[in-house]
Amino acid sequence: MNKKLLGIGAVLIMAFAGYSLASFRTALTPYVDYKTARASAGTVQVAGGLAKASTRYDEASQRLIFGLTDEATGDLLEVRYEGVKPGNFEDAVSIVAIGRFNSAEKVFDADKLLVKCPSKYQGEEVEEKVYE
Amino acid sequence: MSSLTSLYLPGAVALWGSLVLALCTVWGYGQVLQGRDGSLVFARRAYSSFAGAVVLASLVLFFALATRDFRIEYVQQYSGLDLPVHFQLAAFWAGQKGSFMIWLLWGVLLGIPLYKSAGRHEPTVMVLYTLTLIGLVLILVRESPFVMLTETPRDGKGLNPLLQDNWMVIHPPIMFVGFAASAVPFCFAMSALWRRDYSSWAARAFPWALGGFLVLGGAILMGGYWAYDTLGWGGYWGWDPVENASLIPWLFGAVLIHGLYLERTKNRFRRANYILVTLVYLSVLYGTFLTRSGVLADFSVHSFVDLGISGWLIALMAFFVLGSLYLLVFRLREVPTEPNVDPLNSRGAALVLGTITILTSAIAVTFGTSAPLFTAWVGKAAQVGPEWYTKVHFTIAGTVAALLFYVPFQTWKGLPKGELLVKLLPSYAGATVVTVIGLFAGVSWFHSGYLFLVAAALFSNLHKMILKGRTAGWLAAGGYLAHVGVMIMFVGILASSGYDRSTKVTLQQGVPTQVGEMTATFKGFKQKTSPREKDALIVEIVRENGKVVTTYPKLFQNARSGQVMANPDVTVFPLLDLYVSPIEYQPGEAGATAEAHELAKGQTVKLQGLDVQFLGFDLNAEGNAMEQMAQGGKMTIGAQLTVTPTGGAPQNVLALYRVDQARGMAEAPPTRLPGGGSVAVGAINASNGSVRLVFDGVLPIEAVAGSGPRLSVDISTKPLIQLVWGGFYVLMIGGLFALLHRVRELKTLEGLGKAA
Repeated sequence: MNKKLLGIGAVLIMAFAGYSLASFRTALTPYVDYKTARASAGTVQVAGGLAKASTRYDEASQRLIFGLTDEATGDLLEVRYEGVKPGNFEDAVSIVAIGRFNSAEKVFDADKLLVKCPSKYQGEEVEEKVYE
Repeated sequence: MSSLTSLYLPGAVALWGSLVLALCTVWGYGQVLQGRDGSLVFARRAYSSFAGAVVLASLVLFFALATRDFRIEYVQQYSGLDLPVHFQLAAFWAGQKGSFMIWLLWGVLLGIPLYKSAGRHEPTVMVLYTLTLIGLVLILVRESPFVMLTETPRDGKGLNPLLQDNWMVIHPPIMFVGFAASAVPFCFAMSALWRRDYSSWAARAFPWALGGFLVLGGAILMGGYWAYDTLGWGGYWGWDPVENASLIPWLFGAVLIHGLYLERTKNRFRRANYILVTLVYLSVLYGTFLTRSGVLADFSVHSFVDLGISGWLIALMAFFVLGSLYLLVFRLREVPTEPNVDPLNSRGAALVLGTITILTSAIAVTFGTSAPLFTAWVGKAAQVGPEWYTKVHFTIAGTVAALLFYVPFQTWKGLPKGELLVKLLPSYAGATVVTVIGLFAGVSWFHSGYLFLVAAALFSNLHKMILKGRTAGWLAAGGYLAHVGVMIMFVGILASSGYDRSTKVTLQQGVPTQVGEMTATFKGFKQKTSPREKDALIVEIVRENGKVVTTYPKLFQNARSGQVMANPDVTVFPLLDLYVSPIEYQPGEAGATAEAHELAKGQTVKLQGLDVQFLGFDLNAEGNAMEQMAQGGKMTIGAQLTVTPTGGAPQNVLALYRVDQARGMAEAPPTRLPGGGSVAVGAINASNGSVRLVFDGVLPIEAVAGSGPRLSVDISTKPLIQLVWGGFYVLMIGGLFALLHRVRELKTLEGLGKAA
């Protein structure tokens, strides 16, 4: 192999790999419990069930606020989502919220919601939908 | 493992039979490999019977689906009495067991032209290829689609409404043709290593690699179009694990066909191609493992079920990983190579850099998709969002465009820079024009640099394609055409994802609402015209140039599951798509919009969005009313109305009023109005010939906000998104040309072989 070509190829790969890895670390959104979510400044994802009768939706400003409960610990997290309320939202069996904790207002600001609704299809499976 | 007694025998026998016949095939070809040439006939017959058994098993499943045999669990789970025939059959690949079945079916069918055309590679290739199929048979024997229920339900669970779409009939089976085809080049490569016969496998594998690449690409495009046009996901690609699982082998496939091109034309990449072909096949298995084992269940919009076959999939992967690693480690160094003496500014060097770049993309997508797995080892499972993939691929696409710009006019020996520059002048000129147009259209400075590179690459490939097509024939220019397609796609991707506008808005029925520079009005419902259709919502949009577009997105509840389904409306303009995707409909408070009006003959009432004129009574709506009156039984009178939606054409509507004279009861069924809402006859005043009309779901002129029906929609414009599909078609056609070119080349080669 031509040495120069090998060199350029190596530089190209290193540059791509370096760039990808550098942005990879910041792009990672780990699944965390609510305690960790409250403490961390970066983007994380939290999962849980919809707390009963916790949904408030303001149609004019299109702001959805609801409580997320951790079934294992019983911990409750208030989540705020700016956007149209997903259809069938109250039927959700589990919700994944991706965003970050706003420590000033003590609320989790979600950029994205993954709503899983019960489905009678394919046995125990659930239907999911992403809202951004 | 399901006990034999609970299996549907015809299907189970065919499956077990296919396993036995597949083992016979391996044994038969094994005999041939030990020098017993007489076994060839037996081996071929065994393979054909194996294929026959798999076809039979598939037919049994199809027949069970067609006859709605709900004794069979798989039929009961994915089919139902309410399904039309084409979905009844498409339920075949709705579940995991069935999708392995269709994969196996395509696999055995591809094996027939394979053994006929494999030449001296036949025994080794067929042993290996049959082994890849045995992996699928074992999974199906383990998780049989022919399991029977202990009692027979009257109806099935039905097909997931998301899958009740015409794309469902065609997209998954084509995807599995691509998966099945990926095994063929792999088996050729392994056969070459096994036989230490390194010279001819690439020529034989090349058409298969190209064919698989094209079919898989077509399937990926269909999936993207399905998501965009029907499912209303807003875009065509979401970097979801299921999507990535098919993209990864396709990207490795793209690297492979360039590697094979280098090997066929310049005898380069002779060792690398063995690794590339292995990566293509293993990435298919790995993608299957990721999406079938449930490991990514929390990270995808698609649903995953753990069938309990994770262990089997891992074993299958391990078998092929270890087997191919063994051959690669011990035999690869024997493969003769030629020293690469290409200067840096040569075609060969550019091709090497290009393949490295696509390889980086394939590795990055694999890495990103696997993130939840390896982050789980070190701590919390984490995933990367679409933003990361986009960021990485922006750089990769730029590099690809830069290389594709000059490579068509670069020679293997390398042109002096000045000469190359002169040849590229027309492309520079074309790219400058495109970039200037782009800048005027509002493309940012940063993106316009990217646009320049992409346009330059587009023009230089187009230019070279014409030159090459004229001299060497158009089939030989397929590669350049494919690259033109890739660049058209890049323009479409940049424009539609970098300059799209999306607004989520709640529209009051009848109230025009400002959405960006457009005005949107929710006008009500359009009644379906056939039972197979769904009622549509009417959203009228006045664009910034004053053009009025009426869109009909759909939002409906699946009768079986209660699941709310949305179908977007896509209006295609030359420069952009107008995309209207419904999110939620609220009927408003009951009665809030119901109102009654007394109209004399010829009188008109003005409501919001429509005018209604009462023309007179129809006494022959359901038989002659005068005769009915005389008989004293049931009598029907119709009220003839002319309804004119604002800005629309007048339409005649007949509202009925049925009176049962004997019982003194009246019935007035509501009649749908064009533009939404309904009208019913409240009362008839025979003395002055007037009618009382009761409107529902129609706003009076002075609408009160917040009380009437409301529709939440996502209205977006996606500039040049049609170029994404258009470019892909061009890429596919270019690939098809290349495929035909390579098949012809192989035939010439075989002709030479026979002559020699």
